[in-house]
Amino acid sequence: MNAQAKAPDVLIRLEGIVKEYPMGAETVRALRGVNLAVRTNEFVAVMGSSGSGKSTLLNILGLLDVPTAGQYWLEGRDVARLSHAELARIRGCQIGFVFQTFELLPRQTALQNVQLPLVYSGTRGRREKAKEALCRVGLADRMDHRPNQLSGGQRQRAAIARALVQQPSLLLADEPTGNLDTQTGNEIMALFVDLHRQGQTILIVTHEPHVARRCGRVVCIRDGQIESDT
Amino acid sequence: MTILPNVQNAVDQLRSHKMRSVLTILGVVIAVTSTITVVSVVQGFATYVSKFLKGLGTNAMWVWPERPPGEAGKTLGRVELDLHDVAAVESGCSALRVVSPLVVRPSATLRFGRDELTVPVEGVSAEYHAIRNFPVEVGRPFAAVDVEQGHYVCVLGREVLRKLNLDEGMVGGTLLVDGRRFRVIGVLEEKGSFLGNSLDNLVLIPYATALKMYPASRRHLAMAAQATSEKEVREARAQIVNLLRRRHGLNPYQPNDFQVQTQDEILEAFHTMSLVATVVLAGIVGISLVVGGVGIMNVMLVSVTERTREIGLRMAVGARRRDILVQFLTEATVLSLVGGGLGIGFGYGLSWLVSLHPKMVDITVPGWVVILGFGISAATGVIFGLIPAIKAALLNPIDALRHE
Repeated sequence: MNAQAKAPDVLIRLEGIVKEYPMGAETVRALRGVNLAVRTNEFVAVMGSSGSGKSTLLNILGLLDVPTAGQYWLEGRDVARLSHAELARIRGCQIGFVFQTFELLPRQTALQNVQLPLVYSGTRGRREKAKEALCRVGLADRMDHRPNQLSGGQRQRAAIARALVQQPSLLLADEPTGNLDTQTGNEIMALFVDLHRQGQTILIVTHEPHVARRCGRVVCIRDGQIESDT
Repeated sequence: MTILPNVQNAVDQLRSHKMRSVLTILGVVIAVTSTITVVSVVQGFATYVSKFLKGLGTNAMWVWPERPPGEAGKTLGRVELDLHDVAAVESGCSALRVVSPLVVRPSATLRFGRDELTVPVEGVSAEYHAIRNFPVEVGRPFAAVDVEQGHYVCVLGREVLRKLNLDEGMVGGTLLVDGRRFRVIGVLEEKGSFLGNSLDNLVLIPYATALKMYPASRRHLAMAAQATSEKEVREARAQIVNLLRRRHGLNPYQPNDFQVQTQDEILEAFHTMSLVATVVLAGIVGISLVVGGVGIMNVMLVSVTERTREIGLRMAVGARRRDILVQFLTEATVLSLVGGGLGIGFGYGLSWLVSLHPKMVDITVPGWVVILGFGISAATGVIFGLIPAIKAALLNPIDALRHE
């Protein structure tokens, strides 16, 4: 990776990303040529109605899915060239993913859930790092609770702590407030804003304008293409 | 990912589905329990029998006249073995240490006062004690003169004394064997019983005396012999066969008109038997292990399907395919190892229960069976857990996460 190959602070670069799904006899084109660049320390909201392809885009960015066509450079590396194991390592160490439905393991405490990425990367001092992450999201007092003993907002905070624990270069969130009431949603958004202020690059997918409003940049997607980018 | 979190996770899964786990491991439990029990019992018998066979004598062998069955046997003339043969074997076989003629009367009548008893009587020489490893405990063994002169003296087994309600004070007294008065000169050491038959139920008399009483046995003698060492047993056998064939003038195409059986051969025959028992057992255990393994595979497949979202999440936070594979393999292995552990426990219990039967031999569970039990249960877990684990590992992260 040499510095000339990429603009110095471009974290993500997408060129002509196409994603097609076979759906019975037909093929659904979820993304139809998306070009996007995200720089370090940006706070981006991807907006669009349901079925616009915004979640598909996020999954590709998070290396959970692979595009049918097009190229994706993450920190200057063409991800299409990476092996399964390397993709797993990047998912674990460089990308933090926050889901709409939290996806915490139900039988483990918040602390154990947050430790999970550290377990897979083989990091030492897991407990301390996980505690630190939980403190950052304001869940220091609920660490030993299981997900079913936590409120929705607390669960999402635990999930955010899990996404942050590896100090990833990119934080991705798929409708993080979608399963929360307005009040709690606002609190979670405030947390994202705060994290962004601390230097975290964040990309949030949402269909709620008031969520998008709090982000520095809003990318609107419609029918698998970028409609506007401000 | 290290082993410990995997094992913790596996134990956690087991606990969260207690009933299911118990039913799953039942097959493995049964397989391991039956392995432990049956192997222990077979081993107990093997120890018992080889102890008995060793008690028969030291490097001992037996020779007796016998017409072989079938056409070949009909080519032979009279089938005989006499004292000259015994003497020739004694002087002509360098691999033999001692030889004793053997006159066997399976049922002779013993009378003492008003008591009457049917016992086996054996006419032997003084060397017989050494060959059979059957020393005289009280009194004295036969002297050379007793044997040569055909004195009417006898040595009693402990069981005979017991049946006559006598004790060692009988030494010096007299009793009747098939109508002849014999003086008791000694009592044999106790040998115990084998499969319910007492080995101490016999009367020894000098072979010359026996031949006087039962003249028909002169031409149908048997003999017991002892090789110079364990290594020489085969050689001794060959020497006896050669010598007797020569003496009996047998042509190369004629079969032996006698039988030679060494202690090793008896042991070997028994080992073959116990090997067959073990193979049959292995088959049964194999079948129950396959049943148990399929149970584990079935439940693991259900578990993978149930936890598809969890697998997706784990992949999203950095689990490699290998990590997922190891996770599910560990789970299957822990499951079957718990089954194996329970099986070993039940196996011990069952062996103990079996050994409570009064006619049962001593049973000890050999240490290697426990290791074997764990080994086969772990192998079952790995083998039958592989397909579900591979299925889990090959899931696509996003498909897994979207799974409902």
